[in-house]
Amino acid sequence: MSGKRLVAVVALVALTAGVAIAAAPTDRVLPAHEYTTEKARALASAHVHALQELSAGIYHCWPWVDVPRNGIGFYRPRGAQQDDRHLSTRISIEQEPSPAFASLRFEERATAMFSRYIPPLLRRMTKDPNVAADPKLDGFTAIVDWPKPAPRGTGRPVSETIAVFIDKASALEFLSGRGDIKTLPSHARVLGFDGETPLGQITLGPAWDDNFVATFKVANYQLEPGVVCN
Amino acid sequence: MRSVRGKLLLLSAVLIATAGCATSEEWNTWYTHRTHFASYEHLGFSVRNTEGSSPKVTRKDIQLARDEGWWGKAITVSQEQMLER
Repeated sequence: MSGKRLVAVVALVALTAGVAIAAAPTDRVLPAHEYTTEKARALASAHVHALQELSAGIYHCWPWVDVPRNGIGFYRPRGAQQDDRHLSTRISIEQEPSPAFASLRFEERATAMFSRYIPPLLRRMTKDPNVAADPKLDGFTAIVDWPKPAPRGTGRPVSETIAVFIDKASALEFLSGRGDIKTLPSHARVLGFDGETPLGQITLGPAWDDNFVATFKVANYQLEPGVVCN
Repeated sequence: MRSVRGKLLLLSAVLIATAGCATSEEWNTWYTHRTHFASYEHLGFSVRNTEGSSPKVTRKDIQLARDEGWWGKAITVSQEQMLER
């Protein structure tokens, strides 16, 4: 292969490999210089590419989901006694809840959203094995917002939120297949929020396998060229 | 556009009218079908359909629909209430 051709091939590979990241917003990941400790900055610097890939994957492959600005990063759970660093991802589900979902109690809705989104989020967050293998990483946090069921026209919409904190060992045990989805909530600390109002730590029921994320398709949605979802 | 809005309003009214307390049957229905969402109709606002072509939705269309604030910006907990930098 000639030198020119090799350069062209390398450029093409580099170009297509970066399609997913290039087309997705980059402000979803907290920049390294905005952390308050050296440990967090080191994690952020070492895994910036993995976090941008995580962001781009959610952006393209879960198009009904939104990640807010700085929604992904190596955050410390609020009130932690030491500098525990979790890979954290916040997602907002912006679809209209069905009447059946609306009729559930908050804890039941929270369990349903846990079952639906926490396992696939954990899988996405550990797609790059180097992140989970980093000894500086202590756990995972997943924050899920969804619209609080309410009749239309009753004022400004309100979100319900769960913040799920899972230590690294429990998360990896579950992901390896040794842990059971039913008992995963019992290994997590879950905080609930009604709009801005904290509901404190909540107890979820047993979770279940939910393949919605893997099977749901937005009608007529077209992936951008070069993007592959798996 | 007006007729689409009208249909959505009608759909919402029907959904609200049929919503009520959860019965075990409703819970079983939700659990079995696991369809959390009633519809994704709002996307139609950003889809530009032309005669003779099938409608396509891109990620940018979805972002535009979101930015247009179909639901308005929701009241939600700030990240700082849960996480520290």
